Formats: sequence, C-alpha cells, structure tokens
Amino acid sequence: MKAFEYGDQEISSAQMAITIASILIDVGILTLPREVAEVTESSDGWISIAATGLIAIACAWFIGKLAIRVGTKGLYDYSASIITRPLAFMFMLGLSAYFLLFSAYEVRSIANTAKQYLFEETPAEVIALIFLLVVAYAVSGTRIGLIRLNVLFLPMVIVIAFVVMGLSYSIFHLGDLKPFFITDWKQITNGMKRSEYPFLGFETVLIYISIMNKPKDAPKAAVLGVVVPLLLYLLMYMVTVGVFSNASLRQIKYPTLELAKEVHVPGEFFERFESMLFTIWLLTVFNTMSMAFDCAVYCLSALFRKVKRTTWVVMLCPLIYLICMEPQDNVDFDRLGRLVCDFANVFAYAVPILILLLSLLRRRKSHAP
Amino acid sequence: MFKQLFFRRAIARTAQAAAAGPAPGRPLSASLKETLEAIRTTLHAPNDLIIREFIVGSVNCPFALVCIDGLVDNNLVNEQVLKPLIHYCGADETGSALLNTVECEVLTSFELDRVATLDDSLLAILSGDTLLVADGAATGLLVGSRGWKTRALEEPQTESIIRGPRIGFTEDLRTNTSLLRRRIRDTNLRFDIQRIGRRSRREVMIAYIDDIVHPALVPELKRRLDTIDMDDVEGSGYVEQWIADSFLTPFPLILNTERPDKVSGALLQGRIAVLVDGDPFALVLPITLSSCFQSPEDYYQHWLISTLTRILRLVAAFMATFLPALYISLLEFHHGMIPSRLAFSIAGAREGVPFPAVIEAFMMEITLELLREAGLRLPKPIGQTIGIVGGLVIGEAAVAAGIVSPIMVIVVAVTAISSFALPSYSFAISLRMLRFGIMLAASVWGLFGVIMAYIMINVHLVNLKSFGIPYSTPFVPFFARDWKDLILRAPVIFMDFRPKLTQSLNPVRLRRTKKR
Repeated sequence: MKAFEYGDQEISSAQMAITIASILIDVGILTLPREVAEVTESSDGWISIAATGLIAIACAWFIGKLAIRVGTKGLYDYSASIITRPLAFMFMLGLSAYFLLFSAYEVRSIANTAKQYLFEETPAEVIALIFLLVVAYAVSGTRIGLIRLNVLFLPMVIVIAFVVMGLSYSIFHLGDLKPFFITDWKQITNGMKRSEYPFLGFETVLIYISIMNKPKDAPKAAVLGVVVPLLLYLLMYMVTVGVFSNASLRQIKYPTLELAKEVHVPGEFFERFESMLFTIWLLTVFNTMSMAFDCAVYCLSALFRKVKRTTWVVMLCPLIYLICMEPQDNVDFDRLGRLVCDFANVFAYAVPILILLLSLLRRRKSHAP
Repeated sequence: MFKQLFFRRAIARTAQAAAAGPAPGRPLSASLKETLEAIRTTLHAPNDLIIREFIVGSVNCPFALVCIDGLVDNNLVNEQVLKPLIHYCGADETGSALLNTVECEVLTSFELDRVATLDDSLLAILSGDTLLVADGAATGLLVGSRGWKTRALEEPQTESIIRGPRIGFTEDLRTNTSLLRRRIRDTNLRFDIQRIGRRSRREVMIAYIDDIVHPALVPELKRRLDTIDMDDVEGSGYVEQWIADSFLTPFPLILNTERPDKVSGALLQGRIAVLVDGDPFALVLPITLSSCFQSPEDYYQHWLISTLTRILRLVAAFMATFLPALYISLLEFHHGMIPSRLAFSIAGAREGVPFPAVIEAFMMEITLELLREAGLRLPKPIGQTIGIVGGLVIGEAAVAAGIVSPIMVIVVAVTAISSFALPSYSFAISLRMLRFGIMLAASVWGLFGVIMAYIMINVHLVNLKSFGIPYSTPFVPFFARDWKDLILRAPVIFMDFRPKLTQSLNPVRLRRTKKR
C-alpha cells in the first residue's frame, strides 16, 4: 500500500562519513598487519600505513570536491558533459567492472577466512554462495536501507575491535615495537603498495552524493570516512606488532584474528574469541560488499536505464559468483586482489581526478573570455 | 492467484467506487402506513422488531415508535419517549408541525436527531436507536436509546502491570471513547467515525489529537480505511491486516493494546488510535520497533528501574530469538568456543542422547509451543495443570528417558521465559517464528548461518515502514532526541519533546519555566 512520504530518502553528511568508514573497514584489516610487516622492519610499518592513509585522505578530498560538482546530475551525465559521452560510457563501464571485482574479492576472502575460522568441512563455494545471496537480498531492497545498515553495524564492529585490542593489554610487549625508524624508504613504499587495499571504497561518495542533503559537505564526509579507519588500522597494527613482534607477524596469515585468539576473555565465558570476532566482522564485510554491489548496479543502470534494479541484481549475482570462484589458489587470489587495486587506481582515482582537473580547466576557460 | 493478491486493493477500490455511485436512498413516505409497511417488508418483520403505534395530541395524530428489542434501553424508551408522548395532549397540530413540537417540547430524552431516508432510519434502528414517525411528516425523529448488555470494566487480561490504572477497554465503543475522554480532556481530541463492512456496518473510530498529529497521517489512514470493502470486519485484527503497509512481514506494523493509558499516551505522542466496535483491542499507529519494547509501566516507575527493565527486555528479545540457535551452532560446529570445563559437563550431560542438538532443540521447542497453545485453549484451572504437567513432568521425564539433555531443557526454558517477558504479544510471536528459521540456519551453517540470519532480519527491518515511518527509527535514521525514551527512559523532567519520528506539529511536551 502506498505510504505517505516521510521525506527520509536522503542522507546526512554524518551518515555519509559512517558509510565510507564502513566501506573501508573490511577484510583488508584482517591481513593488513602481515602484509605490511612482511616488507618492513620492526614496527615501522605504521609509516607505510599512515602515508597510504594520507594519500587516501588527499584523494578523498579531491573526489569529494568532484562529488560536489556531480551533485544530483548523476555521475554519468556529469562526466559525459566533461569528457564526452563515449568516454564517459567507458569510464562508467570500467567503474562498474571495478565494483564487481571488488565484490567478488570480498566474497572470496570471506569464504576463505570462514573456512579457516568457522568451518572444517563446509566447502568455500557454499559459504560464498550464501553470503552472496544475503547481499543480493539486501541490494534488491532500497538504497537508503543499505546506508542505514552501515549506520547500524559500524558501531558494533568498532566496539568489538576495541574490545579485542583492550583485552590484549596483558600480552602486549612494548619492547617489540622498538627500534623505531630503521626501515629504508624503499621498503616503506613497498609497504604502502601493500596497504592500498584496505583504503579502497571512498569513491562511492561520487555515487551517493545524489541522495545527500548537504552536498557541500561531501569532501569533509569523505575525509572523515577515511580518518576513522586509518586510526583503527594504525592502532591495530601497533597492537599486533606489540603482541606478536615483527618476526612472527610475518608468518601469521590473519594477524587480527589470531590476536583475538591470544586474548584472554575475563569471566571464562567463552574461548576462541576469534570466531566471535570474525562473526561480528562479517557485518562490516557485508556492508562493504553490499555497497560495492549497489554501486555496480548504479553504474550499470545509469548506462542502461530501462533495466530494473532487481533484474540487475539477479543478472550480476552469477557473474560475481563466477569471478570469485575463478582463483584456484592463494596466488591466484592475491592476483585478483592486485587486479582490484589496479582497477581502483585507474577508474576510481585517476579518471575522476582527471575529470575534476578538466572541469576546473574548462571553467577557467569559460571565465577567461 | 498472485495477481489477485497484489491487485486486491486496486480491485477493491474500483468495486467500491462503483458501489458508492448514485444511491441517494429512498425517502421516508409521508404516510405512516406506507413507512411502517416499508420497514416491515425490508426487515422481514422479525420478532425482535417492536412497532408500537399510538396517537398523540388533541387531534389524535397517529404516531409509531420503531425499535429492536434488546438493543434499546427499555426504561429510557418507556419513561422519556412513550410516557411524555402519550400524556401529551396540548397542540392541535398534525404531521411535521406536531413532530417539531414533540421534538422541542415533549420528549425528555436528550439525544434526538432528524432522519429523512428509509435507509438511514433502518441503519439507526439496527444500531439500537428508536425511530419515531408521525403520519403526515416526511421525516422521522431518531431517539438515541442504545442500551444493551455490556461487560463490566475489567483489568486488561493480556497486559497486566504492577503499577498503574487497572482498567481495560471493553467491547463497547462508547465505553471505550469515554475511557479516553476521561484521560484527555483536550478540546482537540477528535473521534472520527467511519462505518466499515458492507453488511455489518460496524463503527470504526479514529482517535487523534488534532494539533499534535502530523496532518498527512489522518487522511492517509482514512483513505486506507475507505479501501476496506468486505462483509464484516470481525475485529481490529481485520482492520490491522488490511491497512498495514506490508503483509509479508512477521513484525507487527500496528500495535494493539487493551490499555486506555497506553492509547492516550500514544495519542499525546502524535500517534493515532483506531477503535473497532465490538473489540476491546485498540490499534495504535504508526509504530516503530522501539514501541514493541515499551510498556506504560515504564513511565509510572522511577526512571532507573524503567531503564534497567528496558535493557532486560532487549536482552530478552535477543535471547528469545537467538539463544537456541547459538546453542545449536556452538554444539554442532564450534565446540572450541565453549570453555573446556563447560564443554566437558555438556558432553557428560549429552551422553546417551541419541539425537543431534538440532533435533533435540526442535523437539523441545515444538513441545513447548504445543504446551503454550494447549494452555490457552483449556479453561483456566486446567490450563495451569497443563503448565505443571508440561513443564515439570515432561521436562523431567524427557531428561530421565535420555531423549534430551538437561542443558537443552534449560536453554528452551530460558528462551520461553524471555519471550514471555516482552510487553507486546504480537512482537513476541514474530520473534518465535523467526527463532525456528534461525535454528535451521544455525544447524546447517553454524555461527555463519546465525549472523547471516541476523543480517537478513536487519535488512528487512530497515526496509520496513509503518505508515510511511521507517520501522527502524530512531536507531536509523538516527534521532538523538528520541534516544531519551528508547533504551534509556530519561527522568520525566528531561523528556521535553514528543518523539521526533511522529513529526508532530507541536513538538514541545513540557516546559521547565517554573522552579520545582
């Protein structure tokens, strides 16, 4: 039955910031400490993470600026007005491919991790399928509903992360952090490359700008959305180094989850806290994945306006499932991760910033005569 | 069939538009004989139809009094209608002039109304009013004489509380409106009546406070009520299911309550109540998920007590939904998560139990649901026996026989108690339904299944609306102001505003201008 309209189909800038933070925090943090520690010495990986974070903040600012220009016009129409329609078509297609790859990577890593921490016999294929179907159910709902889910789940995730870090105070060795600043800049850059993945996702501001009630705040929201995960990553990295030390951190596949395994839950209420942490972590991975999926649907439906949202969801589900089941082993899987990063570098950062520069140039030109 | 389901409302609307076409109703005839004949033929002269013919005034004008036996207050009709009329011998008028005089000077009854058509007069007679017709007058006089056997006011059966008024609604609409009036003496309290049901012509009352409620809400509710086109709305449940935003959700989108204090509180928050004649349950709308956790008692107790009670209820809702599923998933998939000493004792207790935990849990849960249902159906004294037999004997015997483990009995019992602790019965039922689905998910995919089910419930909740208001408010969309009356029940002097989610026109609830 048709409801009388409540005027709630828009999001505030706080919601936008929470959404971006929630997209950034995903499976990346589970492996981030190892990825960075492998190429850096002692606790110096934080420099890599911080540097990547600063670059991400700068990018987020620029993309937020571009988002202001996009406004309610929609990304496709705006970019078409700057770089002509065929090029914009390519851009949107690339962007949707990136979002699809991103979702596929998320599903696969969930399946892999769940296999290690929750199940012994259930095949990864089934886990991935179930997760994908739940995400598809969410995406076939309303877009505003997805954003509300971010707002619901993110606090729980952050709280549980802090609980884990807080409980590990008794096994934290300050000595493992020392010595400081012994890594050379080449290794730092290497670490920066490795820590790119956890910072992917703030480009979604370009898409959700159309439902923001104060589009002017987009850069602020995007930056805030990057700062929160950055702080969480830094803290998590330092804690994992302090608990495991750099040498053993390199050997641990999922340091964040192993950290939960090490901590001692007061009250003896349950053991193996890592299963608990991972279960809660599924919430934020679900958020990231559903937003990426939704963005892919958005990009494609901007190109082909006649196809319905549900149709897109039904059509894209098998595609994502095929992509995510493509990697046969860990090497393939890492390659998929790198592919996602490459796509992001091109379509999520380079092209939008190029468009922003072009639009600035054009405005100057139009002002000149 | 699906087409019918989805287009049910559209079809109903067109059918109603066709029915509501030009139907002015037959006018009352000026001849008394014809009028009475028409009434007799239409009603088929049943034996509870009373037609009393008599003459009035000095010129002996024929009069008739028509009513249904059992629906009218005999005493009132005798003393205030029949007696004054028969004793009256003043005027020398006839027809409508005499009827005017009778209306103004003779009748001592206080509720009088003119009626011009036969259909209106029949509806009034069948509703318990008395029709007075005079020969030569083309209009009739309706005397409000409704009086039938009603139940006395009792304590509400389904929502009893420790502290607060012990009065509940009854089946009689008039009594119910008086109960509301006695709580809110505001000139802006509105009772709008709509008759619903093609054959039952039942009175449905919309109650709201005019300068508090959002202006779009009442017309929307009336529009939805107008779409109801059926023989009889047999109770508030029919109305609730017809006007709710979605029929695919397990959650109650409209609250039902027997308590006048709950209804008046809701009216003052900017909500609307719907009262259906013949049903002691009032509907309150729009509601959100948080309404299902609130009880009127929260406002009567000290705020600390109420806050703690609300936290308890949240925990209860969580346990009622997830506890058996969590137990199953820990036992079947993640033994490692149970502390080793507890794991040993569980394993010891489960020794000899031939079934996996899922089967065990399902058996116990279904037994419990059966007990609950049986206890409801039986007369009260026997119902208690069922409780004892079920709870003690079956539980003990099942454990002794080695069919279930004692820990499973504990889990199931705690789950059941938790679901009883929720103030809204319909909400508790929806959690009961979800519980079985989640148990299935847990038995196949363990904790992963549980969290997926949790996500799906959340997805469903954020997409749900009750009369246009998101069901998950004020969690998301986040209204900090409404958190004062959510989990925390702030001290009374701090609850300055009506809930933001109802978008009230007049948001200020209290002022702290005077010193306490």
